[in-house]
Amino acid sequence: MTAITGTHSVHCGGRTITRPEVEDFLYSEADILDRWDYDGWLALFEPGARYEIPTTDYRPGWSPHETGSFVDDDWDLILARVKRLKSRKAHAENPHSRTHRLVSNVRLSEHTEDSFRVAASFVVHRARDGRFDAYVGWYEHVLVPTGDGLRFRLRRSILGHESLAAGARLSFIL
Amino acid sequence: MGSNPRTVPAPMIVEDWDQLTFRVNREAYRSAEIFTRERGWVWTHTWLYLGHETEIPNPNDFKVRTLGGRPLIFCRDTAGEVHAFLNSCPHRGTVLCRESEGSTRLFQCFYHAWTFRNNGDLAAIPDADAYESSDEFKASMGLRSVPRLEIHEGYVFVAFDPDVPPLLEHLGDAADYMTMIEQQHVGGMTTLPGTQQYSVRGNWKLAVENAMDGYHFAPTHNTFVGYLRESGFAVTDDNQYAYNLGNGHGLLVLTGHGGRISMLWEPRFGEDERVRTEQHRAEMTQRLGEKRAHYVADESHILFVFPNLLLFDIEGLSIRQLEPVAPDQTDVRAWQLVPRDEDPAARALRMKTVVSFVGPGGLATPDDIEAYEAVQRGIQATAGTAAPELDYSDMSRGMADEVKGAQGRSTDEGAMRGFWRHWVDAVGIDDGLAVHGERPTTFLEGRDVR
Repeated sequence: MTAITGTHSVHCGGRTITRPEVEDFLYSEADILDRWDYDGWLALFEPGARYEIPTTDYRPGWSPHETGSFVDDDWDLILARVKRLKSRKAHAENPHSRTHRLVSNVRLSEHTEDSFRVAASFVVHRARDGRFDAYVGWYEHVLVPTGDGLRFRLRRSILGHESLAAGARLSFIL
Repeated sequence: MGSNPRTVPAPMIVEDWDQLTFRVNREAYRSAEIFTRERGWVWTHTWLYLGHETEIPNPNDFKVRTLGGRPLIFCRDTAGEVHAFLNSCPHRGTVLCRESEGSTRLFQCFYHAWTFRNNGDLAAIPDADAYESSDEFKASMGLRSVPRLEIHEGYVFVAFDPDVPPLLEHLGDAADYMTMIEQQHVGGMTTLPGTQQYSVRGNWKLAVENAMDGYHFAPTHNTFVGYLRESGFAVTDDNQYAYNLGNGHGLLVLTGHGGRISMLWEPRFGEDERVRTEQHRAEMTQRLGEKRAHYVADESHILFVFPNLLLFDIEGLSIRQLEPVAPDQTDVRAWQLVPRDEDPAARALRMKTVVSFVGPGGLATPDDIEAYEAVQRGIQATAGTAAPELDYSDMSRGMADEVKGAQGRSTDEGAMRGFWRHWVDAVGIDDGLAVHGERPTTFLEGRDVR
């Protein structure tokens, strides 16, 4: 198996992408989300991209087209979600939650001609309404190298919880 | 309640037909005593929604689930019969099945290795000869079934009280709206894997009120309404009604809040779906007749079946089950119900569309949750006040029309009033309801949809 060394870099889109480059991309995204810069967040996607959060009983191989899920956003819905979150009428996030994200265990794999997969772990802490919740799980993203840097083709957050804890709705980007 | 000091103030509900006001005591949402009463009365002596038959499609399938705080095994035995067992070893009470779902012929307790068949029979006790009259003893040690289990259109209900009336009597007019869902597609409906399981910091009755409340739709879901309008759907409150179905059940009839996959087309569903919808509608008219097809296809319904089942028959179909955990906490489980053998493109569109609205990650449900969590926090403001008459929530909207005998609108609060009148009986609080003035002799209930 070359899996262990293989997580350091992938060849994709005519160049070599290294793990530090991907880590910087994910750290920047975490920072953008924690600063509630949703235009900045949208700029990290290629048009036509998807955003998914499966349910907590998710099993590998499930398709959001064939199962229930928490988030099953195509590009139009990503745009609608961002527009909503920027509105002061998004009551579930007005005032905004205070979030703090940690991204770790980044691994690169399965590159095709123009895209590759990234697995990572996340912890998102969220303060709101005098409460403090934690969301933990894994990212399973598909990224695309472009002339302007990396972009999401698929952004998928898979929760590690057995169910969403009290108050822990997914009203912000996980 | 014997010598227990009374901490719940009477009355819980005040109906005033002179002032046309209906008020609910806020202790209903926060009192530990009320919560205990609900567990002991409502959740013990009423039919409860357990799950859908299609969640356990094959012999030996099982799910575990908690209902009214009681751990249960919901399973199909080797012969295909549906059961609900208390998930507790008859020997010493250990939780017997600690998986959340799966397939098995036998349930074995890990503690002392007692083993049971999935029809409830005791299969084996290690070293059974240590028990006097072993056969008789073994015969008394089967899994404990819930006293009653009945199924309507695939919806499995259980009761912990053997003396509840037949399920169809309890469901009353609600039963036909469940049948209408099953009639939507010629092959019937099935649940999908991918259960939305989440928990809300709010009383379970706030979730019921929220579902039966068309008044909140425009202000609370401003951003979702905006999304619908931008995608070409003219959102309106016209011709939308609320029905009190009796026995605590309620129904919202909605026509202006969005299209319905394979029933009622709207631009955001795309041209392919328009063709599929036309074909499906022609098939429905032939199968069900014009009138029935109209009620099945052209209206969205939000049906509440007292006390723990909500059916959102809107863009798509969601089953939502409420499980009270504490006065201020409710676990919610939601399944998507879909036509069997649905066209894959229609299925994908359906899942995207349903999820975009309902569930804790959608564009609308989080605002509902925010609303009733905010109620739960806010009602502390009037707790224990020097002016106890202020410690009430108002649900008077539409009472003037109710007196005139006019059908309640979805933006009125008549369906909630039906719920609360039934609730106050169901929790068995003496003097729980105070009526002032002359009450209408009957309330409008149901309608002819056949």
